Amino acid sequence: MYDFLQNNSLYLVLGISLLGWAGIFSYLVRLGARIRHLEKQDKQ
Amino acid sequence: MKAFQAILGVWLSAVIFCALMFPIVGEITRWYEFPVIPGLEQKARILFFHVPLAWTSVVGFVVSVFYAIRYLRSKQIDDDIKSSSAAGLGLLFCALTTLTGSIWAKFSWGSFWNWDPRETSIFVLLLIYGAYFALRSAVQEDDKKATLAAVYAIIAGVTMPFLMFVMPRIIESLHPDPIINTRGKVSMNSTMLVVFFSSLAGFTALYFWIYSLKLRVARLEFKRSSAGE
Repeated sequence: MYDFLQNNSLYLVLGISLLGWAGIFSYLVRLGARIRHLEKQDKQ
Repeated sequence: MKAFQAILGVWLSAVIFCALMFPIVGEITRWYEFPVIPGLEQKARILFFHVPLAWTSVVGFVVSVFYAIRYLRSKQIDDDIKSSSAAGLGLLFCALTTLTGSIWAKFSWGSFWNWDPRETSIFVLLLIYGAYFALRSAVQEDDKKATLAAVYAIIAGVTMPFLMFVMPRIIESLHPDPIINTRGKVSMNSTMLVVFFSSLAGFTALYFWIYSLKLRVARLEFKRSSAGE
């Protein structure tokens, strides 16, 4: 297990970073959609 | 807007991939290789994230000062909303810079926090902008709060270049040479430079995207709180 982590640490960091970025990105997209909905509600 | 989001999504994914996957080698034979930076080796990869985060925090603080000055001239509450939103994001990115820096310090200097001049100056900056939000929450009246916050944001903005750029250069520090060093030269391999500036552009775009969202939320909050009064 230790050897696996040591040999593949860069791939693990890449995976974690990309997952983190995907999470932030999708959160921001959903937040944008929610704000748009609230703005529409406010106008009505 | 959707095209911008899609481009940014792919752009920053590509930056993450290149920053982490391009091999660091002693002698460069291919275009996608990074040279070894003595003393940094694999740890050099953090500069593709740490420096752009620091840069975006500077952008946030500069935008905050700009709108604070505008508020004092115009007394438009929207300028205060823009100023405080920018300062909030600047503080967030500054905290992330500190976090990435301390992770790097753990592996280079042996501990997460060493009170190096660079760490001390960013800590003081975090305190200054933390106090900005403490000040805002302490005053209830909107106009008074906005005026006080605008004056404070300008004073904090004046200290920012000193704490970010001047102080770490006049006091001896273990922090690696900045990208643009004291000789005014950019000392970086061309592939590294491309990835670095791509990261800088990506993080700046990300900053403005989050800023626009934060601004819209703050405007809605203000509208609703004013309607509730």
